[in-house]
Order: sequence, then structure tokens, then C-alpha cells
Amino acid sequence: MSGSLHRIVYCSRNALAGSAASVSGEIRDILALSRANNRRDGITGALLYSGGVFAQVLEGRLDAIEGAFERIQRDPRHRDVTVLQIAPAGPRGFPDWSMAFAGDSAGRSDPATAARLAEALADPDAVGGEELLDLLRDLVVREDEWALAS
Amino acid sequence: MAALLDRATARRTRRAAPKARARRPVPTLPCLALDGLPQAVLVFDAKLRLLLGNAGLLGMLNVPPALLAGRPRLVEALAAGKRFSPEALRATEQVCAAAVARTDGVEETAHLDLANGLSIMLRLRRIGRCRWVAVFEDVTEFRATESRALALALTDPLTGLANRRVMRERLGTVLAAPSGREAAQAAVFCIDLDNFKPVNDTLGHPMGDALLRAIAGRLRAALRGDDLIARVGGDEFVVIQEAPGPEGGVDAVAARMVDLLGRPFILNGNLVNVGASIGYALSPADASDPDALLRCADLALYQAKAGGRRGYRRFTPEMEARARARRLLEQDLRKALALSQFELAYQPKVNLRSGRLAGFEALLRWRHPERGLISPGEFIPVCEEIGLIVPLGEWVLRTACLEAAGWPAGVAVAVNVSAPQFEEPRRLVGAIGGALARARLDPQRLEVEITESVLLRHGAATRDALHAIRRLGVRISMDDFGTGYSSLTQLQSFPFDRIKIDRSFVQNLLDSAESAAIVRAVAALGASLGIATTAEGVETEEQLARIRADGCTEVQGYLFSRPVGAAEIGALIASLGTAPTPRLPVEA
Ligand SMILES: Cc1cc2nc3c(=O)[nH]c(=O)nc-3n(C[C@H](O)[C@H](O)[C@H](O)COP(=O)(O)O)c2cc1C
Repeated sequence: MSGSLHRIVYCSRNALAGSAASVSGEIRDILALSRANNRRDGITGALLYSGGVFAQVLEGRLDAIEGAFERIQRDPRHRDVTVLQIAPAGPRGFPDWSMAFAGDSAGRSDPATAARLAEALADPDAVGGEELLDLLRDLVVREDEWALAS
Repeated sequence: MAALLDRATARRTRRAAPKARARRPVPTLPCLALDGLPQAVLVFDAKLRLLLGNAGLLGMLNVPPALLAGRPRLVEALAAGKRFSPEALRATEQVCAAAVARTDGVEETAHLDLANGLSIMLRLRRIGRCRWVAVFEDVTEFRATESRALALALTDPLTGLANRRVMRERLGTVLAAPSGREAAQAAVFCIDLDNFKPVNDTLGHPMGDALLRAIAGRLRAALRGDDLIARVGGDEFVVIQEAPGPEGGVDAVAARMVDLLGRPFILNGNLVNVGASIGYALSPADASDPDALLRCADLALYQAKAGGRRGYRRFTPEMEARARARRLLEQDLRKALALSQFELAYQPKVNLRSGRLAGFEALLRWRHPERGLISPGEFIPVCEEIGLIVPLGEWVLRTACLEAAGWPAGVAVAVNVSAPQFEEPRRLVGAIGGALARARLDPQRLEVEITESVLLRHGAATRDALHAIRRLGVRISMDDFGTGYSSLTQLQSFPFDRIKIDRSFVQNLLDSAESAAIVRAVAALGASLGIATTAEGVETEEQLARIRADGCTEVQGYLFSRPVGAAEIGALIASLGTAPTPRLPVEA
């Protein structure tokens, strides 16, 4: 069971204070460390940051993603963690990303996304893990196109 | 060729040896004999001068060979090897001097920790009139094994945290150290998980164990490396923080632990939420004795739990006072039944249709010898906690039945039965039957009142008990109707004889449209189900008029009478009694 592919989807509230620039600096640090750790642990996924809310998908072996999740839980840089999904998963949703990123600090802010994330935090039953997963997949792909186009 | 040369050199050395011994104070021959030993061995004189040393002295202790020639002072030779810290040198010198001073031939020993991490056992003994031998033995490996064994006995094997004994010892050491007046010397946190048992019960012990390990990890993440974390019970932890800094900082530490432990866990694919409550106390401000300090933190924890979960509280002296008052109350309560300090008061219920006295509700009173009357709100919860509620409830049943047996035939008595009494349903049914039989009271005249919480507690077993009570001929009413959260469902689960509408609705009847609607709806519901409805807490004529219009069948409240003692019952029955009361003209 712990060897098969699983997925965790959660969202949390940013606990970083400071200017937008220092927050995006912190997020860059988080991403760099996450990518190194996740590559080591066979984890793929995506992180979204919008309107002060993080949403993250972690996919990999159950023991690996549980280990990463527990480390992430001990991180004071965010709080109010709400788990939307922990379940066995089919094929990976982000096979090519050790941690893809989409969000405000990439230079774009999407009010609709931010509002949906806030809803997910307020009422985890209202926004399912699947919906958030789709949202992230969509954003990451667009991000990619956007990066290519620019 | 090389071998030949070697042999030649050896011969020359041997031949030269006697001469060398005469000239040099540190002879080499005895060294050769000692060189095979794994220990460093040296011989010194009464002035602590080094006379002789073996290879270990050069290897293990790094003493430069050149030094050995000049009868150096022992500590200088050791210092030159740079393995000894100043403290270790001082200790060595002291113990050597002590060995020299000894006349009884007993060994002196000392433990030395060297700069390179070696742990050394030093033994000293006299070997001649003016000669002493010092043996330095490397016991690093042994000590490591020993400390591993010790650690194993001192830690909780599940989480690797310290156990209660270690925690208690550390606290003793910390508090014994001298401290400044201003700064806090230590903070003690008592931590209790809010929701551990259900997790353990529903997901199983292996999951409970995994959770405890994860909890230990979160606590480590929330604390400094030198804080002591101990697991002192199934789901109880104690943290000792030395020199915790300013008070706001201690609050922040408590908040961080509450925060981290309150975050979700994912364990083997299961999402688990627990959460923790924390109480803390500071030394020397709150207490300076280990047990007292732990008690303070524990009292604060108790308050944190009582004040809703997932929070922290600092100890305050009021908590101590409250705990003491509570202990006294407990002690007094345990004696109260035997000392006949309980009594019953009775409040009449009047039938709105006939205008006559329908019966009385028996209300428990405690007349404390010093404090006077104590409200049931204060002592009933304590009775429930200390297990006194069942015998007390039985006393109420017996007494109410006996007193009611002396009243006119049409007057009933209602007795409140609480949830804990339903935990032993057979005992309860037996007690009711016994009370009726002893008083020779017609069962029709006894009514048992229960609240919704009773049915919520253990649904099926309680319903069975209620049916058994009903079979005795006793009537059953639902008290405080509308205050629970599934009132209507509860009504469906048992055919009650009466619904008592909670006083809060009656009191708001004239000001709150909602309360008015609820009273009307319950009265109508009762009428359609054929269940009597009693409005409690009626205090004014206006309320009475409204209640009558809504169709309630009975009323109870100060408008008719406050609860009265058994002695005044006769007079009250005479005034309300069998004749219609002046206030309640019989309806046409
Ligand atoms: C929103 C958020 C997402 C994170 N995602 C990851 C992640 O995917 N992988 C990871 O290893 N660390 C992640 N971290 C960082 C961890 O909290 C933690 O700092 C890190 O795993 C520690 O790694 P180390 O033990 O190698 O120092 C994240 C932190 C935050 C605040």
C-alpha cells in the first residue's frame, strides 16, 4: 500500500509577513528546496500561491508524500492547513514537475482562482480535492504556455 | 641485508642499556615490558615527577617522547600532549596528590574526559616507598554502551522522548540551580491531547502509536534543542524549558505547540485531527519546588481544557483557590448524605383546564452547615463527577415517594432522574420500584422527568429502561424541552406522557416572536399527539394568559408558588388544593 501512487491535496494560509517581494523571495526558496527534496523522494506535484493562500498537490509513494507532508506541516511559514484529499491516485498529474509553480509571484494574479482557494479553506467540503487538482493542472499548463510565449 | 642491520642495532642497544639507565632518569627497559599494554602507564614520585612511561603515554596521551628524558612534572608532560583540558589537568594533579597522601594502600580513581572525545579511567596506586603508578585506560566504548543502556531505560521506547522519571529529575536539577530574581528560571508545560482516545479506538493501536511518534516530532519542531520533552502518560506530555526568557516568549512557545499539534496528520493514508491543550507555570514566580510547579502547570491545563480545547493557559493563583474550594466541596458532599444535609423542596404544577393542583416537582436542596443553601447548579455536576449522583438520586426517589404518600390522593410527585443513573438501568428500575413499594405510593402518582441529554447518551438501553419504568405504572416526561438540538427526534423515540417547555421560552414569550412560536408549536404538537404540556417558569399574568391561549395543559412557576419545604406543603395544598384557585377560573 505504501508503495503505490498516492496523492495529497491541501491548502493553507500564508503566514509570511513582509513585502510582496520578500514573500516571493521566500516562495522561491521553498520551491528550490522542494524541488531538490522531491526529486530525491520521487515526488511530483504543483504549488499554487494566490491571494495569500497556498494550494499544493503532492504525488508519489504514500510513505514519501506522507514524509514530505509531515515536514511541510512543521513549517511556520504557513498555517490553517486544510487537507482536501488523501487517496490512491491513477497516473501522475504532474509527471514532469518535481514541483510546478503557478501564482501571484509569477507576475499574474487571478481573482477567480484566489476566491476559489479562499472558499476551499473556509469550507473544505465545498471545494473538492479533484476540483483543486484540475484547477492546478490547468494553471500550470497555462503558465507553461505563458512562459513559452513570453 | 636490512634484517642483519636491524639485528646489529638491537645488539648495540642492548649492550648500551645498563649504561643508559645509569645516566637517564627515565629507563627504557621497563617501558618495553609495558609497551604491549593498551593502557598508558606512568610511574611518578612524591613530587609528582614523571619517572617512567610506556608507549601508551606517547600514543594515547600524545606526550612528546623528548620530554620523558628530563623528569618533567607529570602535569607538564600531559599538558604538552594537548589532550588534557585545564580542568582535566587539575583533576589529574589533585588525584595524584591524593594518592601520594594515602597511607592505606587503597587505589585512587578518577574519570577524565579528554579533548579528543576519549573517556579515560585513571587509577593510581603506590608501588614502592616513593613510587606510584598511574594507569590511564580508554573506557570510551564502555561508557557509550553504558549510556545507551541508560538512555534506553530513561526514554519512552515508542517516541524516544524522556520518561517521567527523567523529567522529574531534570526539573529538580534545574530548580536547584541558583537563579536571578527577575528572570524566570524554568517554564513547565503540561500538554494533553484533546482527541487521542477516539483515534486510538477507531483506527487501532498501531495508528495510535504512529500518531504519538508524529506528535513527538512536532513537539521537537516547536521547541529548542535543549528543552526537555517527556511523555508522562498515554497521551500526556511535559516540556521543561530552562531560562525561558520573557513571559511573552513563553506564551509564544505554548501557542506554537498548540498550533503545530492542531494541524492535521496523515498517517498511512488516514487523515487524523487531534489537537492539544496546554497549561504552563513558571519558576520561581508560580512555585519553586518541582512538585508544586508541576501541580500548577497541571491546574492550568485543567483550566485550558475546561475553557474549550486547543488552547493554552498560564497558571494563576485563583486556579489554586478554585481547586481548593472544589476539593472542599467534594469532601463536604461525600459526608452530606450521611449527615442528612440534603432536603427536597416542592414546586406545585397547576392544571389549566381544571384550575387545580396537579402535583409537585421535587427539587433537591443542599443545606451546607456553614455556607447555607448551595445551588444544585454548583453541586450536581460535582456529584456526577465523583460518582455520588446515583446514591443521591436514589435518596431523592425514596424521600419524594415517602413524602408524597402523605399527600391527598390526586396529587402527584415528579422526580428528576439524571443521565448517570441510566448507566445502570437495572439498578434504576429497581430503585424506583423499591421506593414506590416502601412508601406504598400508587405508581400513577410518580412521574420521572428526564432531559434530552439522557436519551442522547445511550439511546437503545435508555429506551428499554424507560419502557421498564413505564411498566411499573410510572409516567415519564421530557424536561427542558427545546434546549437540546434534536428535540423533535427525541420525542419520536419514546412515547412520553408529558413535555415540559423550557423556562427560557416562557420568559421570552412576550418579547421574542420565535419563543412565542415555539411555545405555540409545542402546545399544538402535544395536543395532537395526546401528550400533556407543562410550561415552566411562569411568573406573570401576561405569560399565563398567553400560555393558556396557546393551549398548554399545565403551568408551573413563581406566579403560583416558589418551591416550598415539606413542612409547608400541607398549607399550600389547602390553598391551591382541591378547589379551583381564585386566579384560575375554570374554563367554560
Ligand atoms: C507551502 C509550502 C510548500 C512546501 N512544499 C514542499 C515540498 O513539496 N517538498 C519539500 O520537501 N518541502 C516543502 N516545503 C518545505 C518544508 O516545509 C520544509 O521546510 C522542508 O521540507 C525541509 O527540508 P529539509 O529537511 O531538507 O531542510 C514547503 C513549505 C511550504 C510552506
